[in-house]
Amino acid sequence: MDSKEASQKQRESTSSQLEKLLNQVQKEPTHLNYWNVHKRIQKLDLESLKIPDEKRIKVALLSSFTIDPLCIYLDIKSRFAQLHPEIYVAPFNQYQQEILNENSRLYTFKPDVIILAVQADVLLSEHFFSEFVKLSNVEQYQTEIVDRFQTILSMLTARTDALVLVNNFIVPSFTPFGILDNKADNGFRSFFYELNQRLAELYKKSSQVYVVDLEGAASKHGKSRCLDPKLYYRGSLVFSESFLPVIADEYMAYIKALKNLTRKCIVLDLDNVMWGGIIGEDGIEGIQLGNDSPGNVYKDFQRVLLSYYNRGILLAINSKNNPEDALKAIREHPHMLLREKHFVAIRINWRNKVQNMTELAKEINIGLDSMAFMDDNPREREQMKQALPQVLVVDLPSSPFLYRQTLENLNDFNVLALTEEDKKRGEMYHARKKREELRTSISSLEDFLKSLEMKIVIKHADDLGLPRIVRMVNKTNQFNLTTRRYTDAEIRKMKEAKNEFVIYSLQVSDKLGDEGIVGVAIIRKEQKMWTLDSFLLSCRVIGRKVETAFLAKIVADAKEQGVSTLVGECIPTQKNAPVKNFYSSYGFEELAQEGNLYRWRLDLTKSTVKMPEWMNVKNG
Amino acid sequence: MASSMDEKLKDILAKVLLIDESKISDGMSRKSVKEWDSMAHLMLVSEIESAFEVTMDDDDIMEIQTVGDIKKTLKKVGITT
Repeated sequence: MDSKEASQKQRESTSSQLEKLLNQVQKEPTHLNYWNVHKRIQKLDLESLKIPDEKRIKVALLSSFTIDPLCIYLDIKSRFAQLHPEIYVAPFNQYQQEILNENSRLYTFKPDVIILAVQADVLLSEHFFSEFVKLSNVEQYQTEIVDRFQTILSMLTARTDALVLVNNFIVPSFTPFGILDNKADNGFRSFFYELNQRLAELYKKSSQVYVVDLEGAASKHGKSRCLDPKLYYRGSLVFSESFLPVIADEYMAYIKALKNLTRKCIVLDLDNVMWGGIIGEDGIEGIQLGNDSPGNVYKDFQRVLLSYYNRGILLAINSKNNPEDALKAIREHPHMLLREKHFVAIRINWRNKVQNMTELAKEINIGLDSMAFMDDNPREREQMKQALPQVLVVDLPSSPFLYRQTLENLNDFNVLALTEEDKKRGEMYHARKKREELRTSISSLEDFLKSLEMKIVIKHADDLGLPRIVRMVNKTNQFNLTTRRYTDAEIRKMKEAKNEFVIYSLQVSDKLGDEGIVGVAIIRKEQKMWTLDSFLLSCRVIGRKVETAFLAKIVADAKEQGVSTLVGECIPTQKNAPVKNFYSSYGFEELAQEGNLYRWRLDLTKSTVKMPEWMNVKNG
Repeated sequence: MASSMDEKLKDILAKVLLIDESKISDGMSRKSVKEWDSMAHLMLVSEIESAFEVTMDDDDIMEIQTVGDIKKTLKKVGITT
C-alpha cells in the first residue's frame, strides 16, 4: 500500500469515527455525553481529514470565569454544522492581560472569532452589590464599565480582524428594593437594563464587534436555571449544564453567519404544516386555519414565516397535492396570511419531493445548501436527508403546538449585516419572475434587454454598499472569476488603501424593479498595470450583458489613468465553469499559467472593450 | 439495588475519565489516570451528585484520591454501591 493510499484510508477511518461519535451525542445529548464525545474527538487524528480552509474556524474564549465547559459545546455544535473548530481557552480571568499583551497566545493563535464573556461582578467593587441602595452616582458606575469595555475592545479590534462577540449582562432577578425597584430613583435591575442598552448603543454601527444578548438567552432559558450554585461556588462555573447548550447556540448563530452557512429559503409542505388537515380530503372549509384552536396554531406559524419573508428570507412550496385544490386554499382561504405572491417558487404535484427540491433550487437559482425544508411527514424528511444532505431538514415536532417555537429556535437564517437588498428580496424575485415572462414574449435577446430599460450604476465602493459587497465576495460561486474570499475587515482595508486597490460596485435597476448591488470587482493597481483580482456578478443578472458593461467601464477608467495593461485572473472551481473563457471572449491573450491560477492580458494601447450601446450607465 | 448503583457510578467514571468500564477498580487513583485532572474531578463530583441526588462534603471531595474514596464518601451521605 503506498503512502497516498494509506493517508486516504486513515482519512476515511477518522471521518467515520467522527461521524459515529457525533451521532452518539446527537441521539442522547446529555452533558456527560457531550463531555465524553468531546474528549474522544480531540484524540482522533483530525489533521488526516484535510479540511479545506473555508470549513475551519478558530475560536478564542476570553472570560472572567471558568468557561472551559462552553468549549465542549462550541466544538461539537460546530461539527454538527460541518465545521472543524479549533478552540483556545485563555487562562482563568486573564482576559485583560491576553488583550493587552501583544505577544499573548490570543494573538499568536490568530482566531477568527473572539468570545469575551465578563461578569458584571468583576467589573464592580466588592461592596457595589451590598451598598447599592445607598449609592447616588450609579450612572458613573455604568460609565466606568462601558469605558473599560471600550478601552479593551478598541485595543482588541486594532490588533485583530477577528469577529468579536461580547456578552451583555444578565439582569439579576433579585433586587434589594423588592417590588419598588422600578419606583426607586436608581433601581437595581434598571441599572443593568440601562447598562446593556449603553453597551449595545456603543457597538450598534460596528461591523466587527457584536454584543451577544446573554440577558435575552438567560430569560428564555429561565434565570433560575442558568447558574448551578454548586458549580459556581466550587469551580467558578457561571453557566449551568442546562444553559451551556443554549448559550452555545447563541454563539453558533454568529459563527454560522461568519462562515456563510446561512439558509436563504424555507421550503414548506402544505397539509399539516401551513394548515391542519388535508386539503384534498377536507376541502377549503374543512382545513384548520383561523383564530381559534387548533387553526390558530397554523396561522401563528404563518405569521412567523411572513415576518421572515419581510426580512428577506425566501419562501417556497413543495407539496404532494392536486395543484388546483391547494392553490385555491392559498388564494381564497380567508385566514391564509401567505398568498401566492409570497412564494418565490411553487411545486405542488404528485412527484418525488427530492426531485421537486432540486428543481426549486434551480428555478430560484440558489444552492441546496441555502435551503431549509419543513415537512410534517418523517418519511419525507428522511428521504430528503439521505438524498440531499446539503438541505437543512428541520425535525418538526409531532405536536403542531410546537411548530412556531421550532421555527423561532432555528439559528440558520442569520447574516452579519442586513442589507437593503435583503429587505426587498421577496419583491425582487417577484420582479424577476415577471422579467422571465416578458423574455419569453419578446423574440430577440437584444430587444428584450432594451425593453427592460435597464439602468446601471458603477461606482467605487462606499460605506453604505460595503456590507453587501462583503456578502457577495463571500457568497458568489457561479459568476466569480477567482472565488477569492475576503473578510469585512480585509475589504475595509483595501478600500482605504486607495493607491493599491480599487473596489467597484455595480448596481442594476430596470422598469420592473431595483436589484441593488449585483456586481463587485477588486483591482490591484500598479503604475501601468491593473489586475482584476476579483470579478463577480450575482446570477440574478447574468445574461443581460451587464458583465460587458462592467468590464467596459473598468477598461475605460484604466485608460483614463494611463494604464497600458489590464490583466484578468481566473481560478477555476467546480462551480464557476461558465466563466472559464470569460476574458478570452473579450480578446484577452492568455499568459503563462501559474499553478491553479490562469491569467489573461489585454493591451489597452491597442484593444478595448466596447460598452453595449443601449445600456444606460451612470457613474456613481 | 446496590449493583445498579455500582453500574451508575461505573458509567459516570468511564465516560468522564475515558476508561473502559471493565478496567475500573477501587484502587484506581487520580495519579494513575491521566484524564483525572481538576476539571474532570469537578465534573465527576457534579455528575455523581446529580445522579445520586446527594451533596457531598467539600472537604471530602478534596480528599478523594481513588475510586474507593468516592465510594466511601458516597457511603457517608447514605449511598451504598
